[in-house]
Amino acid sequence: MNNNKSLTSVILLLVGCGVFHYLLFPIFTPKEPGWFLNRYVYFLLLVVYIIAYNIILNLKPPMFFKATTVWGVGYYFYDAVLHPHIPWTLRITYMMLWSIGTFLYITQDPVTFKEFRKPIVKTIVGDYRMARIVVFIALPVLVGFATYQSLLPKFEEPVELRTVHPAPPATTKVHGKSYTLEGLQNPFRIDEQDKYKDSFPFLDADKQEYVKYITEGGTIFFQNCHYCHGDQLNGLGMFAHVFNPTPANFVDSGTIAMLRESFLFWRVAKGGPGLPNESTPWSSAMPPWEEHLKTEEIWKVILFEYWYTGWHPRTFDEESSSGSEKKKE
Amino acid sequence: MINQMNKVWKRLLLLAVLTAAFALPGASWAAEKPDAVKKDLLEKGKKVYFKRCVWCHGVEGGGDGPSADRLFTRPRNFNQGTFKIRATDSGHLPLESDLVQTVKNGLPGSAMPAWGEVLSEDEVVAVVNFVKTLLVDRSFDDADEEVEVQQFGEMPWKTEKGPLKEQNLYLGGPREAIDQGREVFIKNKCFECHGGMGRGDGNPTMKDDWGFPILAADWQQCWNFRGSRRDPYNPGNIVRAISTGLNGTPMPNFREQITVEDRWKIAAFVNSLCPRKKIDKLTNKPINDFLISSMYTKEAVAKKIDDPMWQAPDDDPKLVKRAKDYPGTLNKKHYIGMAGQITRGDRNFKPKVDNLWVSSRWNPDEKAVYYLVEYHNRFLPTTPEFPEGVAIQWPSKLQDLYGAEKPYFIYGDPKKPVDIWKAVLLPKDYNPTAPPKDDGFQLDVHVEELNGAGFDKVEKKKTPPTVEIVDSVFKQGRVKVLFRRSLETANKDTDVQIPSEKFIPVSFMQWSGVNKEKNEHMAISTWYYTILEPTIPDSIYYMPPIMAVTFLVLEGWLVWMTKRTRRMYDEGKVN
Repeated sequence: MNNNKSLTSVILLLVGCGVFHYLLFPIFTPKEPGWFLNRYVYFLLLVVYIIAYNIILNLKPPMFFKATTVWGVGYYFYDAVLHPHIPWTLRITYMMLWSIGTFLYITQDPVTFKEFRKPIVKTIVGDYRMARIVVFIALPVLVGFATYQSLLPKFEEPVELRTVHPAPPATTKVHGKSYTLEGLQNPFRIDEQDKYKDSFPFLDADKQEYVKYITEGGTIFFQNCHYCHGDQLNGLGMFAHVFNPTPANFVDSGTIAMLRESFLFWRVAKGGPGLPNESTPWSSAMPPWEEHLKTEEIWKVILFEYWYTGWHPRTFDEESSSGSEKKKE
Repeated sequence: MINQMNKVWKRLLLLAVLTAAFALPGASWAAEKPDAVKKDLLEKGKKVYFKRCVWCHGVEGGGDGPSADRLFTRPRNFNQGTFKIRATDSGHLPLESDLVQTVKNGLPGSAMPAWGEVLSEDEVVAVVNFVKTLLVDRSFDDADEEVEVQQFGEMPWKTEKGPLKEQNLYLGGPREAIDQGREVFIKNKCFECHGGMGRGDGNPTMKDDWGFPILAADWQQCWNFRGSRRDPYNPGNIVRAISTGLNGTPMPNFREQITVEDRWKIAAFVNSLCPRKKIDKLTNKPINDFLISSMYTKEAVAKKIDDPMWQAPDDDPKLVKRAKDYPGTLNKKHYIGMAGQITRGDRNFKPKVDNLWVSSRWNPDEKAVYYLVEYHNRFLPTTPEFPEGVAIQWPSKLQDLYGAEKPYFIYGDPKKPVDIWKAVLLPKDYNPTAPPKDDGFQLDVHVEELNGAGFDKVEKKKTPPTVEIVDSVFKQGRVKVLFRRSLETANKDTDVQIPSEKFIPVSFMQWSGVNKEKNEHMAISTWYYTILEPTIPDSIYYMPPIMAVTFLVLEGWLVWMTKRTRRMYDEGKVN
């Protein structure tokens, strides 16, 4: 009777987990997670399911089985549910904590601990003959295999970290003229760019001065920059796959959207070789554009990049400076 | 009454045509009207066009936007209504769905990106309809225009997806189909343009409809197929190209000459040529192998490229297991992406070579390392003024590099110079129109050892030569060069000294003579790492059993202990 119940419990767990993982998990992980259709609700449902069938059917699974289920569900959470995926070093730490928790649960009183130990002891002393044979052969084989793996020479390419947006210098010299980056403005930003969202480059270039600059900037971009930064300005140009670091994606909110135009001016003018060491200047394919473009062409390209992506450059503390003035009042 | 009779006749006619279409394999559908321009979408389409497309395709769609002159292949000129990738017959206008697919998936191997993730479905349809209005010489609304949609049939065999979740590798096309496809390929003289091994090295003089030079597709780099729809291993794309031809190019259709079944067999053959690699979803190119491992070789390293020691399939060994009877013993070939040097000095916007394949061995007794560099180039130069070249670049002084530091990847910099081994090649008794030779063309080859301290500060070394090219060949559109150098040299100032078991930065350069490439006008890779792998330690053979036995003894001890404790319980000594 008891054995039957344990078997039911095992079957319900395996079948349930299978159904959950292969059928429900894809449903609960759509591209745009909602308040209900998300991975964490899915996990809660899984836990509720496991508790529910045990209570409703009054299965009372043995302690050892309970403990392994708890441990396994925890492992599943860190392995498959938690998002974004955590690195294995962190997962080991989390699983250590989880194992300690499980162990505390087992050892809450001597009776449960004894109950938990029972199948283990029975396996060791040979009451469960088959289990003992399997475990006692499998474990040494595993140990041998692990030794083999650790002795086999393996090489992974070294991981290299780099600073994507290094601190800019105070001044920069371009085409013989020295610029102080603090407060430096784009001379072609003569108007609010959002007004020109529905304007046509080339067609309206004669009518609107701003669009003329955008057209000129875009022309330079599509003669020089798109090979790496892409026709869509998303860093996926036709040569992008070659270079490491990969070209910047201007559509992403982490690049030009959070930078000042003066920073871009410095980056474009000085290129890869102008980077400090923490940004790996030796492998950046970004040309020092002062070698190929005029100063005004650099500014026009920057103007174009903001117009095309719809981002606004970060400004020079207009908010904070106006704020401090208000305080004085 | 007459009207109804007409309808009946029309239906009968349609039925007859349908029957004919099914009865004759490869016969085309009846002519239809092209998809008319949807006028209500034009305003929206124009907006998309003038933000996204105008830069390459030009204000009037003439394929003459500002970028055009610096692109190979040039952007499409829409004015003639000539579109390459279609389901319709040669010379016909494309279906709207063809254009939508092209805009969504881009044209791999060219600058045309995939717009599917950037534009919404509505925007794509709108811009396609706007593009349709840019036709000058013909019109989608013309009453005389007809399109015949071609039938391609279904892939007649089942393929395996392969081990990658996100990418279908279409593995396991049947051997007979591949072999028969090869025969059809020879019978229909596909090699005249595509070359004997399908590397596109058949005809150096081809022009497109507008008189611009054009190259035949390299079938061994299917990720660059324009019509691959970002599904590079799908043979269906090849069947479409054979059935409809590519308008505006010398590629005709073969729907009269080759039956649908045979087109699928050619597709199986073409498809079998393309190495299976993991393709990056974003860039639609194989993922670079950033670590080039040099295989520890106990016996003498072969000095002939033909030796099994230098053979390995191009496939990623993790994706495709090599055949049991495969003679080659090399571990793997490493894929190195190449781009034009568009950073310094005389920039190269139109490189001819897209990638290199590099493999390596080293021998500790000989104290030497070998690098085999392979790449596809359809045609080699014949004049010594612009020879072909390929080079391996190293930091001259590894000991001076701190952490991840490296010299500048284009010829180094004054503080961190580079050591460059450049093989300068010129094929013997060769001209680009010569028929392919079975054992390839021998190359007149010499080594230039260069010392670089900046892209404009490159000098030939004056010290005695250390690098050898032990073998080289140019065969059917593929160059192979085998470099050899001893690990250490006498000149420790400007020659790199190569340690074993250390990660060493390395990068590659390539010059296409036919493209008049010279000095910094070249193709280049970024920095990679190479490592001379150590031998497998002997302890690997005896340590695992020792550990296993030790563990078994421990287990025995555990059993004994547990039994003793239990006995003590039973005897009531503990409880």
